[in-house]
Amino acid sequence: MTSTLRRLGPSRTGVQDSGSGEASRPRRSGHRSRNPLTGGRWAALAFVAPLIVYLGAFYVFPLYRNLDLSLHDYTPRAFVQGDADFVGATNFVEVITSTIFTSAVVNTLVFTLVSISVQFALGLALAVFFRTNFPLSIGLRAAFLIPWLLPMIVSASTWSWMLNSDNGIVNSVLTAFGGGQINWLTSPEWALVSVIIANVWLGIPFNLVILYAGLQNIPDDLYEAAHLDGAGAWRRFWHITVPMLRPVSIITLLLGLVYTLKVVDVIWIMTLGGPGNSSTTLAIWSYRRAFGTGRPDFSQAAAVGNLLIVMALVFGFVYLYLQRREARS
Amino acid sequence: MQHQKTAGCSLLRVGALASVILMSTACSGGGDDGQSDTTHTWWDPYPQHEENSDWAQRVQACGEAASVTIERTAYDTTDLTNQALLAAQEGTSPDVILLDNPAVPTLAETEMLTTMDEFGLDTSDIDKNLLAAGMVDGEAYGIPIGANTLAIYYNETILEEAGVDPAQVTDWASLTDALEQITDTDHRGITFAAIGTEEGSFQFLPWFWGAGADLRELDSPEALEALELLQGWMDEGYAPNSVLDNSQNTVWEEFLTGEFAFAVNGTWQVNSAATEADFPTGVITLPGKDGGIAPTPTGGEFITVPVQGDPERYDVTTQIVECMTTPEGMVETANTFAYYVPPTTEGQEALLQENADLEPWVEAVRNAKGRTGDDLGTDYATISESLWNALQNTLSGVSTAQEALEAAQAEATEQSN
Amino acid sequence: MNVRRSWWRTALGLFFTALMLFPVYWMFNVSLTRTNNLRADPPHWYPKDPTFDGYTIVFQQQLPNLATSLIIGLGCVLLTLLISAPAGYALSRLSMRGSGTIGFLLIVAQMLPSVVMAMGFYAIFVRLGWLNTIWGLVVADSTIAVPFAVMLFTAFMSGIPKDIIQAAKVDGASTWRVFHSIVLPVSRNSILTVSLFAFLWAWSDFIFASTLNRNGDLIPITLGIYNYIGNNTTQWNAIMATAVVASVPATLLLVLAQRYVAGGVTAGAVK
Repeated sequence: MTSTLRRLGPSRTGVQDSGSGEASRPRRSGHRSRNPLTGGRWAALAFVAPLIVYLGAFYVFPLYRNLDLSLHDYTPRAFVQGDADFVGATNFVEVITSTIFTSAVVNTLVFTLVSISVQFALGLALAVFFRTNFPLSIGLRAAFLIPWLLPMIVSASTWSWMLNSDNGIVNSVLTAFGGGQINWLTSPEWALVSVIIANVWLGIPFNLVILYAGLQNIPDDLYEAAHLDGAGAWRRFWHITVPMLRPVSIITLLLGLVYTLKVVDVIWIMTLGGPGNSSTTLAIWSYRRAFGTGRPDFSQAAAVGNLLIVMALVFGFVYLYLQRREARS
Repeated sequence: MQHQKTAGCSLLRVGALASVILMSTACSGGGDDGQSDTTHTWWDPYPQHEENSDWAQRVQACGEAASVTIERTAYDTTDLTNQALLAAQEGTSPDVILLDNPAVPTLAETEMLTTMDEFGLDTSDIDKNLLAAGMVDGEAYGIPIGANTLAIYYNETILEEAGVDPAQVTDWASLTDALEQITDTDHRGITFAAIGTEEGSFQFLPWFWGAGADLRELDSPEALEALELLQGWMDEGYAPNSVLDNSQNTVWEEFLTGEFAFAVNGTWQVNSAATEADFPTGVITLPGKDGGIAPTPTGGEFITVPVQGDPERYDVTTQIVECMTTPEGMVETANTFAYYVPPTTEGQEALLQENADLEPWVEAVRNAKGRTGDDLGTDYATISESLWNALQNTLSGVSTAQEALEAAQAEATEQSN
Repeated sequence: MNVRRSWWRTALGLFFTALMLFPVYWMFNVSLTRTNNLRADPPHWYPKDPTFDGYTIVFQQQLPNLATSLIIGLGCVLLTLLISAPAGYALSRLSMRGSGTIGFLLIVAQMLPSVVMAMGFYAIFVRLGWLNTIWGLVVADSTIAVPFAVMLFTAFMSGIPKDIIQAAKVDGASTWRVFHSIVLPVSRNSILTVSLFAFLWAWSDFIFASTLNRNGDLIPITLGIYNYIGNNTTQWNAIMATAVVASVPATLLLVLAQRYVAGGVTAGAVK
């Protein structure tokens, strides 16, 4: 890093000394209307080409497959023999008119919005907390990532272990403090809450890492200057951290949203979406139709999956809009 | 098979522009699938049996007898069905699959399995009640390599303390009385699995059938009685709330703590009951509502033979299947697993000669009933899902037993059409 | 920094960490618990009468799988960086037509359920002969990380001060040179972040491994765990012990990476 600066330093001054720095200035100010990097188009293409090839090779087919599944009637037999009947939108109609549909959509929204807002808030608070170095801070910050590297079967099982209504440690602590037994995983009121708690726990490391990296990119002297101006910690947070962290925050929230929308494993291992569909999200519903029963219905599963993709598309549009607004300001 | 491969390929071509280049070359060279004449592939749902385990060696020995090497892969039970479908779609099915019995009709329906008749294998010795689970339209699509079923394990220490004589537990009323007596002595009554998966239905069926209910009619008064029996136990505190989240395995872990008097579980825990429990245990059969032995569902795996592109492979496969299903072979399997009862009378008698303690289990297996039997076939999967939903909805208080069963029947009728 | 104040922070940090890691402790507790104490009511806070059977089994059986997971994780990091760093730069800096579309596609790409992805890969890999290979798994696992990585690089790289790049351009540096000797070093933080994510996702993947690498001689640790989940038995202490053992090398790697992030000069410091 320092070497880059050193390399850059002289050349920069050199440029300015020779006077050609003048020439770069108007160009820079007008770069919105015309590309300053002439010939950049081919270079840009070369830079994204690997990505485009990669997307084409590995995403187009699954995407097509998902669409194909949802428009045909793939019974297990048709799945193996490859002769499913084309049924058009029938699967989608069945899904939307199903009795589970409304509750699945509501559960998905509650699960997703509560999960990402809580894990973002906690992740941000922790990132700010860890921004200042203190003894052990590096080790502790690394320790926060451990939940992430546990296999999902292990972390989700551990949670359902701890939340067991009869022999779980959480209820054991609650009753020791005079509380009553809460049927975390087995009552319709608490099942969704339980899976949200576990999911937030799983999501904190992700938010912490990105937001911490984002905080590192805010120059220290901004804070120092504000400090000298007599701004308190709270003011500094609102007037420096929040605006400077905006691009990173938007990405974190968007990605969190996309990942949370398709969460299956943690809910599946803890409650199987039950009891009585009380923790069934769209992703769980889709998974259950495909793999949860003795008789897979891949077509309906794909139809639900496609609805999820549409939801993500909507959020994608919101993201594009925000990004464009960001670029304009 | 060959036909499927081309279909798969053209499907791909439409789909993925960039993949086409990769595909077109690969498709033309297809058909070999990496299988050779000297190795046969074998899938089973026993990941707990490692490469050097007795089971793996037994499989290998059957391969050697047919002068091939067996390449064995173990999946967990649910994963196995999915993998089998995926492989069949791509024409890369293994030579032999050991399938959990309710999955046999599902895979048979896809036409990816050969019938035992086509194969010239004689199934007349196999107990009819066990073979039925693998029958579709009168054709057997596999041979059970062994069978297991459910019974009630009890904790002798607790029963003595509560003054309950296990021999007196012969119908629902006497069982409920026993539970009351046990709970009064500050022990826990009974634990079972009521989880929202096939395991939940599996453990509910003995009560369901024991009341005289029929899977075609989930909202019958008999079915209601069975469901209300379990609900009553939970309301009275005879059974813990955690049964809603219990797999059969968790049930057993709860029983091993020594806190529970009774636990519903299967033949596969016989060894654990003898060695891992630090209290004396016993077994009683599951009682019917008004006495007698309730029909319990059969468990256990079938040996099946998927359709192959190259029919010449079948010769060796036949030898392997025969090796696994001789009477001696069945007993050996039973011993290797320590929890299988052979599916033939001859095999059962041989097993009892070696180990007379297994008598109640052999008895239970003879009285057991295939879940996919009664001509339910693939409908069973749908009905079973409705059944475990009703169980979950009732025990968790989402709806009353009556409502739950009516909803289940409506759902099952709609889905099977 | 005031010493007393920073110790106060350490204490608070320790408290938060303890709270966060309680489930991990619980996992450790279970790894040492005998089967007949697993469901004791009330549960034991620490393993009474501990058993080391789980660990014995794991050390006998799981070490090769651990190495496989490491190789797959690192391979995945490499592949992800190779594809996403240049793309992120192109999308953020080189004005490109259709960059909006690509960003959009990336979001859709991440939304595909991994089960569907796995089925797609199965069809592709059967034809390429990549089933049961480490390379195949690296490619598959990278699909979890690449869309994310491109988006992250795009976001971070658009924050690089324009002057630096401008100056180099004026000096006559080619796009590649600018990317290689200016953009990449300045983006060290985001590279580390992306690497971390790519590694962790590959490390914890189960669905791809179970669909694409079942019969392989080398299987990752997430699959190894399933040896202990039989159809009628679950060896909880072995499962949890595997997770404990597996998290040790990964944690060490994390600590190292974190030290590196913290020790480096941050991109924002360059103005």
